Amino acid sequence: MSSRLPDLSTRLLVLRLSTVVIFLALVTQLAVLQFSRGRQYQERALFNRTRVVQTEGARGVIYDSQGRFLARNRALFAVALVPADLPDDPDFAVSLQKRRALYRALLDVLQQAMAEYSPPPTPAPEGLPSFYEVGQSRPPGPSILSLEEIESLVNQRELGSAYQPVLVAENLPREVALRVEEERYRLPGVEVVVITRREYFSGSDIAHIVGYMGPIPQENITTYVERGYPADAWVGLAGLELTYEQTLRGRPGRKVIEVDVNGRERAVIGQEVPPRPGRNLILSIDLDLQKAMRQALEGGIRPLRSHSAVAVAMDPRNGHILGMVSLPTYDNNIFADGVTPEEYREIAEAPGFPLINHAISGIYPPGSTFKLVTASAALQEKVITPKTILNAPGIIYLPNRNFPDNPNLAQPFVCWIYKSGGQHGDINVVYAIAESCDIFFYKVGGGWPVAEFEGLGVETLAYYANLFGFGNLTGIDLPAENPGLVPNTRWKRLAKGEKWVTGDTYNMAIGQGDVLATPLQVTLMTAAVANNGFLYKPEVVAAITDDRGNVIEERGPQLIRELPIDPKWLDVVREGMWLAVNWEGGTAKDIWDPDLRIAGKTGTAEFFDPEIIRDRRGNLPTHAWFTAFAPYEDPEIVVTVFVYNGGEGSLVAAPIAHKILQAYFDIKARRAEAANPAAGDDTPVEETP
Amino acid sequence: MIRFNWRSFDWLLLVAILMLSIYGVVMINSAVQGDPELTNYPQRQIFYIVAGLVLMFAVAAFDYKFLSFLTEPFYLLVILLLGLVGVLGNRIFGAQSWIDVFGLFPIQPSELAKVALALAMGKYLAYHLDQMDRLRTVLIALLIMLPLLVMVFLEPDLGGAIVLAVEGVFILIAAGLRVQHMVLGVVAGLGLFPFFWGLLQEHQRTRLLIFINPTADPDSYFNVNQALISVGSGGLLGKGYGQGTQSQLHFLRVRHTDFIFSVIAEELGFVGAVGLLLLLFFVLMRLWRIADRARDPFGSFIVVAIAGIVLFQTVVNVGMNMALVPVTGLPLPFVSYGGNAMLSIMMLVGLAESVAMHHRKIEF
Repeated sequence: MSSRLPDLSTRLLVLRLSTVVIFLALVTQLAVLQFSRGRQYQERALFNRTRVVQTEGARGVIYDSQGRFLARNRALFAVALVPADLPDDPDFAVSLQKRRALYRALLDVLQQAMAEYSPPPTPAPEGLPSFYEVGQSRPPGPSILSLEEIESLVNQRELGSAYQPVLVAENLPREVALRVEEERYRLPGVEVVVITRREYFSGSDIAHIVGYMGPIPQENITTYVERGYPADAWVGLAGLELTYEQTLRGRPGRKVIEVDVNGRERAVIGQEVPPRPGRNLILSIDLDLQKAMRQALEGGIRPLRSHSAVAVAMDPRNGHILGMVSLPTYDNNIFADGVTPEEYREIAEAPGFPLINHAISGIYPPGSTFKLVTASAALQEKVITPKTILNAPGIIYLPNRNFPDNPNLAQPFVCWIYKSGGQHGDINVVYAIAESCDIFFYKVGGGWPVAEFEGLGVETLAYYANLFGFGNLTGIDLPAENPGLVPNTRWKRLAKGEKWVTGDTYNMAIGQGDVLATPLQVTLMTAAVANNGFLYKPEVVAAITDDRGNVIEERGPQLIRELPIDPKWLDVVREGMWLAVNWEGGTAKDIWDPDLRIAGKTGTAEFFDPEIIRDRRGNLPTHAWFTAFAPYEDPEIVVTVFVYNGGEGSLVAAPIAHKILQAYFDIKARRAEAANPAAGDDTPVEETP
Repeated sequence: MIRFNWRSFDWLLLVAILMLSIYGVVMINSAVQGDPELTNYPQRQIFYIVAGLVLMFAVAAFDYKFLSFLTEPFYLLVILLLGLVGVLGNRIFGAQSWIDVFGLFPIQPSELAKVALALAMGKYLAYHLDQMDRLRTVLIALLIMLPLLVMVFLEPDLGGAIVLAVEGVFILIAAGLRVQHMVLGVVAGLGLFPFFWGLLQEHQRTRLLIFINPTADPDSYFNVNQALISVGSGGLLGKGYGQGTQSQLHFLRVRHTDFIFSVIAEELGFVGAVGLLLLLFFVLMRLWRIADRARDPFGSFIVVAIAGIVLFQTVVNVGMNMALVPVTGLPLPFVSYGGNAMLSIMMLVGLAESVAMHHRKIEF
């Protein structure tokens, strides 16, 4: 047997030599990796451990004209678990046990901290919620998941993305979040997360202007991601939050961080480019007036009859919006913390559609307020002069075009006054405005063939209506504006397939028929009359400031156009509006106020709604309008009030406008006094809120 | 009769093994930093080393000649244990070490199978050395291996089964396997492959496919990629102990076991990695020397089997760290963390030392 051993030694030599060769191969590969390709792998190692992260700057704040917060950022504290960092063990049962112990420890810390934390007393709500407000928000309380909920959530998440945090407690008070942060050293996988959300002061008072934020809608995600938004970012979805999204957001910063394999930050490398906070918005709206407008509006309408109403106040000298109320309203704080689709639908589809800003998105027949356009156009086009007197019985019969001599075929047109058996008689344009005489404007608009009086005609009337801003977007800095409608021959042919007839011009001349306008457009018209023919673009934002309060941009008046109407004709129209309020025969004489010097125009616009039944005499239901400016000699405010199905403009809308004007001048006096107390010794100094 | 001959004990082998083990502990310490679950792993590894040394000396104290008599009962015992793991272990305790549950040291039956194979195949071939030219001898040797191989594979321990097969081939080569038999074996293996493939279950096929083509498994692809970056970015002197970005930021997974070599290459560079390889090379050279000087073929074959295991595991583990061979769970001998692997390899070294102590008398 031992004779074989030399053979064995030979074979062992082969094995030894193989070992040498194998080790040489290993060392060669090592040298190739570390020397020849070393640089390449060093770069990849660097790429591995560094990330460029985007840091969002604080979103801009929204102030009212007096510098009061309308929208501000609020930090929300939450506690999250990162499944990948939780204790683990190859043995499932052990792993489960370890994790349960961790969850229990975390819940103990949370509960103990919550017990020790005494919340500040919550202020009592101011009165009962109004009929015209839906979905009052309650500040969301802390919510902490149970052990079973945590377990099932973590298990679900672990299958998918184990590095995505699972929120286990939300809306925690700062103190409680800090306690968890302190205990984190013994709670692996637990993280304290800070989420910024919006907080809206005076929520429902100004919700339609300020708007709200929410997660990027699914259909817009690519657009926003292209603009540098993270896919889970929140963006403005309504109101100024939407229009000024780019301004409010600011410029994100960037920093290079060292991360571990889970992408968690370990250190910051090099220089950090800090984010630039968003710009702040200062509105032209005074919250005090805004609130007074809402109060006046809510107090002046009958809830069960009118499901919606609008009040708009604007400065005719520059187009700044001073107040804008649309009822019903909603509390935008509901959206600050996120809503479910069901909650959203419930709010959106409530009676009167609370989410819609009816002041710019609602279109209605403007009724007699439109006579300001007809009057201005007729004077400028020399259809009439201020001295032209037309006969205005309570009812006229427009002869049939083809059979002018057959009275049975003539079409009757009535004046509002005919319902109570009256008539305006012979009348000129100033008194026709003051008394809101329909017959006068029928004739001015469509002509009166019986007396061979030539009217404006549809095309000229439509031309002037467009000049006054009807049928076009005003361009206000709020989303979802509706252009309304100014009909003409062509429109009727295309939309209805019918020929335009003189009767249509009659209806159009008094703001009925197919004319549709937003309350904001009516406001713009009145402002143009008040300021001698300047159509300004309405604006809600008066100035934009940076985070230190420096003014970046001041919004002056932005002229849309100067109307090609001689100011002397507008003087005539204004006189009619003055008499409407300040003469005993005027339609708005009931709101006569010796202190305020109001000029205005009422409107009672018939509309067709299958759900609203006609009155006993078969009359159509009517919207109540009133549009006014003050002071008469030097107008500084225009107010328009619209009440859906409100009835008579003079009875319903005018008193509301009066209250708003009173509030405006009260606030103005109070502010002047506060600024210069010596000037007003004789009156007690009121406290400014 | 037990006779201690500590003069013949291979102390240099022991020193090399101790250096490797300590190297391992130091690098495990770096690898588990920042991982609260693993903080006590260096201490545990030291405990395994000490336990392994005790086991090594205990085994070395036996004259392997006596083991020759125990070969058959030991072989049957291992088969029985593997069967128990197959029947009970899988169902009740999971695939791992059911023996552990009974409070015994955590050596898996598949590790004992390596010893059983070395003894049984070594003994048979030692008795039939003069018949190595007959195919029958080779086939019988393979039949001795087959039950162990199949049962370890079914445990399921694919890596263990492959190690057993390689171990068997090493013994056959040392015993003088004829070239024509080797060629025949390769051809037969290829010919029978479709048949075996048909026998396998779906998950076993998947495992084999991933073994052959690791890119099919994104997890192991990621790991190998990160290992390459770790090794490659190490450079000559490395990034410094505890400073490896790949290991400290956990891009490298299973750092303390499968990819400990990458940690060494990244943090201590070419110098550190070559140092490690030199130590392993030295250990292998000492083992070949013991095999060469054994007093009989049986002793030789036992040590060849052990050296084969150490060589194969080293090549596969280091090769896997450098993307030369597919990813398997094979640990780096003496260095990777793990009680079972440490005790097993120490036991095998003890066996080799036993052979060393009873070597052929060479006249001084």
